[in-house]
Order: sequence, then C-alpha cells, then structure tokens
Amino acid sequence: MRDSHRQTWLIWAAITTVLVLLYLPLVPPLFFSLAPDGPADGTATLRWYVEMWQNPLLTGAVVTSLEDALIVAVVTPLLALGAAMAIRELKIPRLILVLVLLPLFVPGVSMGLATAFFFRLLDVPPSLLTIAIVQIVWALPFATLVVLTAMSTFDPIYIEAAHMSGANRWRAFRDIELPLIWPGVSGAATFSLILSFNETIRTSLVQGPLNTVQTYIWSTYKQIGLSPTLYALMTLLILLTMLLIAYTVVSGRRAARA
Amino acid sequence: MRDNAGSSGWRLNALARRAFLLLPVAFMVVFLLLPLVIMVVVSFWKRAMLKMVPAFIFTNYTDFLSGTRLTVLGRSFAVATEATVIGLLIAYPIAFYLARHAKPATTRLVLLLFTVPFLVNYIIRAFAWTYLLGRTGPINSGLTGAGLMSGPVDWLLYSDFAVLVGMISSYMPFMIFPLWMSIAGIDRRLSEASWMLGAPPWTTFWRVTLPLSMPGVFAAIIFSFVGCFGESAVPVILGGVGYQLIGNEITSTLDVLNYPLAAAMSSVVTAAMLALLAIWYLAFDLRSFLGKILAWRMA
Repeated sequence: MRDSHRQTWLIWAAITTVLVLLYLPLVPPLFFSLAPDGPADGTATLRWYVEMWQNPLLTGAVVTSLEDALIVAVVTPLLALGAAMAIRELKIPRLILVLVLLPLFVPGVSMGLATAFFFRLLDVPPSLLTIAIVQIVWALPFATLVVLTAMSTFDPIYIEAAHMSGANRWRAFRDIELPLIWPGVSGAATFSLILSFNETIRTSLVQGPLNTVQTYIWSTYKQIGLSPTLYALMTLLILLTMLLIAYTVVSGRRAARA
Repeated sequence: MRDNAGSSGWRLNALARRAFLLLPVAFMVVFLLLPLVIMVVVSFWKRAMLKMVPAFIFTNYTDFLSGTRLTVLGRSFAVATEATVIGLLIAYPIAFYLARHAKPATTRLVLLLFTVPFLVNYIIRAFAWTYLLGRTGPINSGLTGAGLMSGPVDWLLYSDFAVLVGMISSYMPFMIFPLWMSIAGIDRRLSEASWMLGAPPWTTFWRVTLPLSMPGVFAAIIFSFVGCFGESAVPVILGGVGYQLIGNEITSTLDVLNYPLAAAMSSVVTAAMLALLAIWYLAFDLRSFLGKILAWRMA
C-alpha cells in the first residue's frame, strides 16, 4: 500500500513538472512587454500596449485577424456538424473521417504551399477569403472531433422516440438532436476561433499583402527581430486564448448542468 | 421510413440534408486534396527566371535528393524521430495514469491543462524558450547561481537540444489525447482476466494493454512526427543561424522564388507522411481508437 502511495506521489510530481515546463514559456512575453526602454530598472510600463495602436500596419493586421476569425468561427462548426453527421449516416464512415482528419497529417508548410499553388493557378488573388479557407481546412479536424464527442454523449433513443412520435427527420434533428449537440457546435466554434488566432505558417503562405497578427509577429521577427511591442502582442494573444478556453469550459459546464 | 410529409417538400429537405452532409467532404477534396495534387504536378515543372513553366522534368527531385539537401532531409528525420520518441515516453505514462487511475473530474482538469499550452501558438512559445534557454536566462543563472556550473552553458540555446525542446513542447501535449482515448477505450476486464490468470502487472501491460492501445500510440506518433518533420519555424527560432531542417529549407527555397523545387521537397515530405497515415488506416480499426466518440451505431 505504501508502495502505491509513493507511485501516486511520483506520477503527480512528474505530471506537475511537465505542466510547469509547458506553462513556463507563457510567462516571459508578459515580462518583456512591461519592460521600459533602456536598461531594466525594475519598473513596469504599459506604453507598448498603448503605442502599438498607432502603427497602421499592426491595426490593419488586427482587423484582418478579427474578420478572418469571424468567418472561420462561423463556417467551420457548420462544416464540422455536416462532417460528423456524414460520418454517422453515410456508408463510408472511415473514409470520411480520414478525409476530415487529413489536415492533421499534412505538414503546415506543405499545406500552405499546396493551397498557394492552387489559388495561383486558378488566378484567385490572395485575400481574406484565401486566408479563411486555409484556416478552415486546418480547424475542421479539431472542430469535427469536438462535435463527434458531443454527439456521443446523448442517447440515440431520443431521436428514435421523436421518429416514433411522428416527427420527420428534419423536425427530429431541429427539435431534439440540435439542442442536444449545440454545446458541441458552439465548442467547435470557440475552438476554431482559437486555432484561427494562433495560426502562422499556413496563413503566411496564402496571405499575399495582408497580415494577421500572428503573421505580423512572424514577419517582423524575421525582418528586424523581437521588440517590446511584439511581446505585448504575444501577451495579448496568450490572454485571449486563455480567455476563450475559459469561456468554453464555463459554458460547457453550464450546458451540462442544464 | 416514417415520414408523413411525403411531398416534394420532403424530397427537397432530403436533398438539402444530403448536400449538408457532403459539403465538408467536397470542401476537403477541393481545398486540400486538389491543392496537394497540384503541388505534385508543379514539382515536375521548370523554373524560368521568376516564373514556373509547365514541363515534365525530374531536375527538381534530382536537385533535392543530391548534395546537401539530402543531409537536411536526414537531419529532419533524426530530429523528428527523437522528438516523437521522447514525447511518447512522456505522454504515454500520463495518459495511462489518467485513463486507469485518476478520477474522471481530475482527468478532465488535467486534460484541459494540457490543451492550454497546446493551443497557444507554438511560435510564441518558441520565442519564450530563446529567453529561458539563453546565456542570461533563468536556467543558466540558476545553474551558475547554485554553483553547479562555473559559467553559462552554451549548448542550451541554438542547438539540437533547443530545437528538441521547442518541438517536444509544441507537439507532445496533443499526443496525450489519442493515447488517453485509446487506453480508456480498452475493456478493463481484459487486464483483470490477465491478472486472474496469474500474470504480473508488467506482463499484463506488455502483452495486453500496450498492444490494445497501439491505434492511439500510432496516431500520437504520426501527429508528432508530421509536425516535427515539416516544422519550419522552430528550427529558425531555436536552431540559430544556418540550422536547416526540411521545413525551413522549403521556406528559404520559396524566398529565392524557386517554386518547383519547393514543390518537389514539399511533395516528398507530404508523401512520406501520407504513407504513414495509410499504414495507420489499413492496420487499425479507427473505431477502436475513436471508440468513445464513435460509440453509437444508428439502426
């Protein structure tokens, strides 16, 4: 018994260490974004958070990011819902599942490059649309898994009951199934939003003259290196991501209680 | 089928439903499969000044597979393998513990804690590692401060070690999910039967649990390997000047506008990854891996 106690203690120490190492990199950006110009003297400043809004390149990137994230967060959950239903109802569930999960198995550079060639040969100029398409392809596997998980938590007997009470497929879907899997669909939306805000490599290959906040950070780093402004941006993105995750958790819990 | 509205309205409904189900499939075919095919086609094209010209030549592949780029391919393979093996060694015990011994509420919390760093862009996290591993960073100051080292350790940053740290912390958190799913999906009675037949815990693990969790293991391996093998940002940030892996070799080929060569390199990488995926698809029943999610079977 004492042996298994020691084992439990050891495994928790290991899990905690791994988590600490994973969370550690989320701290330095905040630290550097508060540093004043010149040598560190222990004081903190918010001037980088204020000044960055005067940079038109950056505000443009923020607008692009928001518009693009909105498209991705609306379209992806709908496609994910369709994909999840197709996996359940069509005759070839494995094939559809692999097709939908495929983006997880294609390296980011290759995916961005392939889509860039595709748009170029079709004479589709880089735009918000091309960025959104690449990000939807990237987010769809995750969103579909979230919807599938939500679908698996309710008993199909409810739908059968609806059918037996005379509801047609559409009514059964709209009145019974959709409300039950709605938490999954909205979870997929938040997940897509998070993935959209955090995508760099695929986006950078199809964006043309546009920039999202992430690609702005990446290209500025490659051209002139890191700066307090970039760290401030990173901090905001980290906080936004955490906020969105917290939102998913809270709304998921509320849905579970209802 | 019990549908009382057997009119044209119902048929339209059925059609709309069909379209809704097939739309994601069509989306993936048009915006992922077709582009990948086009990339392979372009890889046989010729480069003419700043443009690419349709042709059918193998020069891009011979360019790629001879000389230094082949070394880069080999190094990418080695780094991706190392990162994946280490990631698996960290992720498997955690997933196993969560699936077998932790309370459901604890499991949910820990899995959630692993999603946060996974979802924060790994490029941002790689930037942070350059500080943490740097000469003046906390790790080096800690080591010298504790008297363990007389001066800062140089190989922490801009080295294979740093690249490995960046890659493992990028892709390991996600490995836990397929592993956890496949271990949690194993029928506990099988382990109990093995125990009742007198097998010690380790034998049960090696002969029963591990083989049954292979679909998840393989999924985790592919996911990590694909990410690491094609990684283009981490080697730039943490590898230092001149550190080339195939991912950033592709982007630097793009920077000099040699698109067909970039397409050829990218095609080789993608083909290798899709071959892994095909093995996974043929060797394992996906339902055993996604058993929890795909539990229902509609009549």
